[in-house]
Amino acid sequence: MTATASPTSPAPTRTPLSATAIRELTMPAMLIAIWILFAVLSPAFLSPRNLSMLMIELSVTATLAVGVLLVLLPGHTDLSVGAGAGLLGGIASVLIFKHSWPAPAALALSLVVGVALYCGMGWFIVKNRIQAFIITLGGMLAFKGAFWLVIQSTTIPVVRGGEQNLYSALTTFYLPPTVGLALAAGVIAALAVLAIRSRKRRQSVGAHVPSFEEAYLKTFVAGQAILLVVLVCNQYQGVPLAFLILCAVAAVVHVLTQHTPFGRYLYAIGGNEEAAVVSGVPTKKVVIVAFTLLGSIVAITGFMATAYAGASTTTVGDLMELDAIAACVIGGTSLKGGRGTVLGALFGALIMASLLNGMTLLAVSPELKFIVRGVVLAFAVWMDVKLGRR
Amino acid sequence: MNLATSAPVLEARKLTKCFPGVVALNEVTFDLRPGEIHALCGENGAGKSTLIKTLSGIHPFGSYEGEIRVNGQPAQFTTLKDAEAAGLAVIYQELALVEEMSVAENIFLGNEPRRGPWIDWDASYAQAARLLAQFQIQIDPDLKVRDLGVGQKQLVEIVKALGKKSRILILDEPTAALAESEVEILLRILRDLRASGVACIYISHKLGEVKAIADRITVLRDGASISTFDTASVEIPDIIRHMVGREIKELFPRDRNTPVGETLLSVRNLEVAPDSSSPSRLRDVSFDVRAGEVLGIGGLMGAGRSELLLHLFGAWGERRAGEVQLAATADPNPDPQDSIQRGLVMVTDDRKRFGLHLDQPIGFNLSLSSLAQVTHLGLVDEARETQVNQKLFDALRVKAPGLDVPVGGLSGGNQQKVVIGKALMTQPRIVFLDEPTRGIDVGAKLEVYQLINRLTAEGKAVVLVSSELPELMGMSDRIVMLHEGQVGGTFLPDEFNQESLLAAAMGRPKPTSAH
Repeated sequence: MTATASPTSPAPTRTPLSATAIRELTMPAMLIAIWILFAVLSPAFLSPRNLSMLMIELSVTATLAVGVLLVLLPGHTDLSVGAGAGLLGGIASVLIFKHSWPAPAALALSLVVGVALYCGMGWFIVKNRIQAFIITLGGMLAFKGAFWLVIQSTTIPVVRGGEQNLYSALTTFYLPPTVGLALAAGVIAALAVLAIRSRKRRQSVGAHVPSFEEAYLKTFVAGQAILLVVLVCNQYQGVPLAFLILCAVAAVVHVLTQHTPFGRYLYAIGGNEEAAVVSGVPTKKVVIVAFTLLGSIVAITGFMATAYAGASTTTVGDLMELDAIAACVIGGTSLKGGRGTVLGALFGALIMASLLNGMTLLAVSPELKFIVRGVVLAFAVWMDVKLGRR
Repeated sequence: MNLATSAPVLEARKLTKCFPGVVALNEVTFDLRPGEIHALCGENGAGKSTLIKTLSGIHPFGSYEGEIRVNGQPAQFTTLKDAEAAGLAVIYQELALVEEMSVAENIFLGNEPRRGPWIDWDASYAQAARLLAQFQIQIDPDLKVRDLGVGQKQLVEIVKALGKKSRILILDEPTAALAESEVEILLRILRDLRASGVACIYISHKLGEVKAIADRITVLRDGASISTFDTASVEIPDIIRHMVGREIKELFPRDRNTPVGETLLSVRNLEVAPDSSSPSRLRDVSFDVRAGEVLGIGGLMGAGRSELLLHLFGAWGERRAGEVQLAATADPNPDPQDSIQRGLVMVTDDRKRFGLHLDQPIGFNLSLSSLAQVTHLGLVDEARETQVNQKLFDALRVKAPGLDVPVGGLSGGNQQKVVIGKALMTQPRIVFLDEPTRGIDVGAKLEVYQLINRLTAEGKAVVLVSSELPELMGMSDRIVMLHEGQVGGTFLPDEFNQESLLAAAMGRPKPTSAH
């Protein structure tokens, strides 16, 4: 219990609005500051082409971050996802390039391998009560070795003979502008319908309903953001497929974490595992499912990362696990578990991806890139602690 | 020394402390004389903890109005360290021990005996052993704190404070987690300290204990000091009347007229060990629990009361022998999830550790065990969930602004209501209550007792574990006393008396009606 909360007061007062607002606006403010900085230093940063590249890079980082969130929430961690992404991308490349498999079959098999590997790691962690840090550290080394074996430490293209396939399309296909706009309209309409239905449902059972203005504003801002993204994308070649994949993964994980018993249990296990057990939460099953879901997301990320590189090479996936964890943490996820959201992880990933993209554009040396990313990570968490714990 | 005339060592004059929206202390006046034990009584939320926090610098100078004086001099503490430097030591309800460190390390934490720049471990252990021996506490200073029971931890905490040679000791619910024998040790220590001139503020909900130990009693209600009594001149019902501002007629309103129904839980010759490599902790335990009755389970600390309940619920131990039938089917290998589905639910004694998600809102906690009830097509129907939560929140009269307030900010009694509410939402047939009234005030206790009556009237069975014998005798329809993991005796209401229950708890056979 903190010294400020009085156990004697029957009504614990909430944080004043201004403080919460500051806390919630820190990340957007930081992001805008980074964008302004890069826009000033390099006008090319805001060019449609670069923004489109940024979105694809973001899609790779953020998809993995959203996956890692699933195991961070119950207080676990995963260091193997970078190596895992490389391995799974490599398996699909080898099947296509060396064994002439059709791309969909190769991706599907690799996905199944990913699910099996992570399900197995999750099972091993909860059954033997070994810290996820250790097991996934082992996984990271083993996956890396397996990866290099699979691709014989060479470079394996994602397509045969230069034609297109589903694999390469992951990062080269763009939605035609009109389809993009139609999709945006559909999503906005769906959001509005959901918001109205939720209000009606709450009213019908007499639960508290937020003011109409607040609800309207939220939907309106979300709608505007979606529209803006599509319009910017249409300036170049349209909405990238990779970004749609990110949106789909993020939406699924958001609904899982916020609107299902499984999601509640993730928070409950991370917040207080012993209380969760006594409350009848199937803690082991939940954690294994979280790792299994992560496995499928690692595979998807691996495909996108490999496709973006054009070929599977020994460096695909390097340090991606740390970018993913950093994105979650910048987005307010607690490494002890019990705290964090998909939206936060997306913001964190956007900050990390923007930094990397901008610095690459400015031809910043790799040495400095690492240092800047490290400092930003530490700074973001420091801010969060300062504002969050008061 | 004449207590009545000696100048106070600690004094609060017209202390007023406000939190946004709440006046927690309203012109509270209080004084502590040298060598006295002064009890603070009041319901949860009456302002006791706020008063302590203000006196000890946790609410710093400037954040309150009024004056604090130590030894007649105005004191302006801005941190707990200032207060400690002035000779105050506070022992909190929430234990502040490092689980992974030894008893000796904890006792001298921040205050380690040194030899040059190095910690003098030999001196640490020797001094710790001496301190423990001085107070006749049998705890090995080499043991890790995590291996101690709650009661032993409390004693270590007290020794730690005494190691700082404080002259003013503030104890917040020191006996909440102690068994009777440990309470005796603590009270003896306090009497020794009083004799040596240490003054002590003693907060407790156990009025019998307060009456036994305190020289004076100050009652707080709604943030105001109502009055201060000499203990000799006041009786417990008067104290209660002042605390609640109304008359409470019955302390234990057990309604024993509920008809007893079918057997819901049957335990035969149960033997349980903590794990496969340890000796058994429970041996040859047999009893039945029937619909509509309250089965009390008593025993000394370490007798295996909590372990028994936890095992039957499925959260502890490995069964070596015996049979358990839950709702007429065998229950060989229980786990909590399964137990809850079969209508058995448990409220554990350590609500912060096993009961609550303190950072999460009340609503999250209430519905955690019952999400299946409000899940539709795989999604939690939040509107329906809020509705169900609100109903329980109102029925249990939880004092909080709303369902979305984090549980960690509530008082002990209200937190306990949330834990019980979570259990009840699962619609159980058998409710295990392990120390359900620990650390909660008289009014909230009464509500828990009334709830027990309501549950049994609905045909549910309650198994009540309590280390307070009056509560056990007052609320049970039958009592099983455990002694070192075995049944020391089973008692019916006409056989309830403290002596024979205690005798059974200490392993002496049931006296064959001497009179």
